[in-house]
Amino acid sequence: MLTEIHVPDDVPAVLSLVAAGARPLGGGTVLMPWFNDHASPPTELVSLRRAGLAGVHRAGPAWVIGAATTLSQVEHDPRLEVLSPVVRSIASMPVRSLATVGGNLFARQPHGDLAVALVALAATATLADPGGTVELPVEDLVAGGPRPGLVTAVAVEPPAPGTFRYLKAARRRHNSASLVTVAATVTESGGVVTGARVALGGVGARVVRAHAVEAALLGRPFTDATVRAAGQAGLSEIAPADDAYASAWYRTRVFPVHLRRALLGR
Amino acid sequence: MSAKITTIRVNGAERTFLARPETTLLLALREQLGLTGAKRGCAQGACGSCTVLLDGAPVVSCLVPVATVDGAEIATVEGLADGPRLSDVQQAFLDGFATQCGFCTPGMIMSAEALLARNPDPTTAEVAEAISGNVCRCTGYQPIVSAILDAARRRRGEGARR
Repeated sequence: MLTEIHVPDDVPAVLSLVAAGARPLGGGTVLMPWFNDHASPPTELVSLRRAGLAGVHRAGPAWVIGAATTLSQVEHDPRLEVLSPVVRSIASMPVRSLATVGGNLFARQPHGDLAVALVALAATATLADPGGTVELPVEDLVAGGPRPGLVTAVAVEPPAPGTFRYLKAARRRHNSASLVTVAATVTESGGVVTGARVALGGVGARVVRAHAVEAALLGRPFTDATVRAAGQAGLSEIAPADDAYASAWYRTRVFPVHLRRALLGR
Repeated sequence: MSAKITTIRVNGAERTFLARPETTLLLALREQLGLTGAKRGCAQGACGSCTVLLDGAPVVSCLVPVATVDGAEIATVEGLADGPRLSDVQQAFLDGFATQCGFCTPGMIMSAEALLARNPDPTTAEVAEAISGNVCRCTGYQPIVSAILDAARRRRGEGARR
């Protein structure tokens, strides 16, 4: 049962309420379906809607995206063009108008494609509590279980032109959870891959940083044969689940195909 | 548990009521303000039958605690017609037989309104994307897409589809 919904006007008030046990509410697209359908222990929510956590600003080379920025705002912000196809692959417009960047980091797989892209882009997150803030890689944030505090922002540096790749395979073109999501930044020099950072969604309980795929790409020519070998290497680090969208068998079977399509565009 | 005095502006009129913490925007519209156009389908944000515009953006109102949007501007399907005169989108739905059982229609129309406000000349693919969060279990998608394209033409002054 929801016993209180706080709508504070500033971040310190949010943090003290969260520290006291209130659950943060971003867009409500994860929490509210549950509360609409379940009896729950007495619960207080603290809405981020008015706390000043929405918006985008530049800090050095990075764009800093407030945690309460909606996915729709990201989608339509020309400064965040690199993330537009990522966001458009998530849910539907009436959901993206509510869902927030901070909240999407914690959407359970096979949802939460933004986190996959942010891991590939080496984004960092700001985690705050009443005692202060810490910066940590989004990769670390989404790899572990719940942490105390509140994500207040995500910082991401735009990738070099042409280096970022993103593909989400789903049952429908729009508004469907991931079967396999691939996000990667790949750089080449002298005919070989000199940098690779690959993240996967839909193929594990959490976002997968695909170290074996990266190792199979580095130092080799960026060809079909290399990517095929990388796909085989990646099979060792994925652990898909059966769900309503696809079986684990199917996801495993098509993973190398979607990796190739994501990386090579064919 | 405390109910809070909440004020929202609905279809241009200010409405004030007491909202309990679990009251969603959808329930406030339907049960406290008597606006039953938006429908409660799944209460999961998946079917889109509760779609309304919140400060101009389409949202699934079943996922919005109304206490969090105190002071917001809401547009619902009830605000589109001018007395007996239907809006261009409503008329296009009627003319194109894009309403079958009618349950999804208010949400479809509000998603269409949001699309046309942003993009007056959408492609078929853009219309399909815009209504991808609205489920029609009569599966009447083709006439719905056609009706939205027809409404766009009417709004651009190009006349109705024949």
